[in-house]
Amino acid sequence: MGPLYKLGWFDFAYGLQMAGLIGFLFGFVLERAGFGNVRKLTANFYLRDFAVFKVMFTAIIVCMLGLLYFSVFGWIDLGLVYLLPTYIWPQIVGGLVLGIGFIMGGYCPTTSIVATVSGKLDGLVFIGGMIIGSFIFAEIFPLLEKFYSAGDMGAIRLTDVLNLNSGIIALLVCLMAVGAYWFVEKVENKFGDRDTLPGGSKRMKRSAAAILILLGLILALINPDRIAANRPSPQAQTRERMEEIQKPSPKAEKPSSSKFEIVEDEGC
Amino acid sequence: MNQRFANPYVIGTLLGLVMLFSFYTMGRGVGSSATFARVATAGIDLMAPEHTKANAYFSKYLSGSRSPLMAWLVFLSMGAALGGLFSAFIANRIKGEVARGPSIGVSARLWLALGGGILSGFAARLARGCTSGQALTGAAELAFGSWIFMFSIFAGAYATAYFFRKEWL
Repeated sequence: MGPLYKLGWFDFAYGLQMAGLIGFLFGFVLERAGFGNVRKLTANFYLRDFAVFKVMFTAIIVCMLGLLYFSVFGWIDLGLVYLLPTYIWPQIVGGLVLGIGFIMGGYCPTTSIVATVSGKLDGLVFIGGMIIGSFIFAEIFPLLEKFYSAGDMGAIRLTDVLNLNSGIIALLVCLMAVGAYWFVEKVENKFGDRDTLPGGSKRMKRSAAAILILLGLILALINPDRIAANRPSPQAQTRERMEEIQKPSPKAEKPSSSKFEIVEDEGC
Repeated sequence: MNQRFANPYVIGTLLGLVMLFSFYTMGRGVGSSATFARVATAGIDLMAPEHTKANAYFSKYLSGSRSPLMAWLVFLSMGAALGGLFSAFIANRIKGEVARGPSIGVSARLWLALGGGILSGFAARLARGCTSGQALTGAAELAFGSWIFMFSIFAGAYATAYFFRKEWL
């Protein structure tokens, strides 16, 4: 049962090593997609190449389906996963400004790291800009404090807002994705350079779309929220089992001379 | 000769699995923007430690004697730098240059990169995360604000893309 860290399988120092590993994979796949290349990134906003959109949306869907299926199989307790709280106004304004920063600077925060290590000086300058931007934010924070917590809606999910269970939402997201992929491919075939756009047979795309919708449909039928709610306190069970596992494991007993804690900025 | 970029659907799937792995092991998703805020905090803390302690926002990144850089996302960003470097190296894509469109000069491009970075750094703090920490991670958990944030990013970029077309096209 996960999440392993929250259930005490390893301490913060080990978590930092895990962060290095996860980060490595993260940076690796972004560079594979060409996200160290600024013109590939910005082509998304000139309707020429929707790689940014496709990667983001596909990652969200795969992870969303994974989390819900893991929850159905009892492999993860979604209640222990950190859920980003909603502060609607700063999120809307922050999103708009981040979008302008993206098209002006050419990168978003993580892709600028990938660009910098690929030798792009503009990527390094963008990173410098972000450090300055964070500094400015902190300096004028007293003025922004009120707006920073405006529209506080708590840690709510789409399920709460739309009043539907996670399974139905997952199906809707899958349907929306298939429609959006079809649409952006039409658009990029019209405006983009067909030679540089990635291939992929029609048959493969259709099968992938069918699998996606099927996975969503299954979730919509079984209602993962109900299954998770009906499970008899999984946390207590695993905690007992975990104690048994933890004892002989040397990794869980890492020396923790200075006490580490997760600080509050869990999401960002 | 440079290699072709990978198919975005394949990459998206792999990225989704990396995020899932992160959720399963750590109970949280990926991210990076707080790294830059922590670097700013550490830098100011070095020069004027009283200032960071007195500042309501900087002080959030200070905890006792531990450096503000001893944090999850800082390690994740360092990993991302190594992973990106490795991928760029094996694809023969490492090349020192200022990446830009054909109709803009080097200094103009660098100034715009600086301006874009400042806006992004500021906006990511305001929204409590960036494209990865807030949009990807939150949307996968179906967090309401993260979906709104993601659409806002695309709206902001599409709405202003016209004004920056000389930089890229």
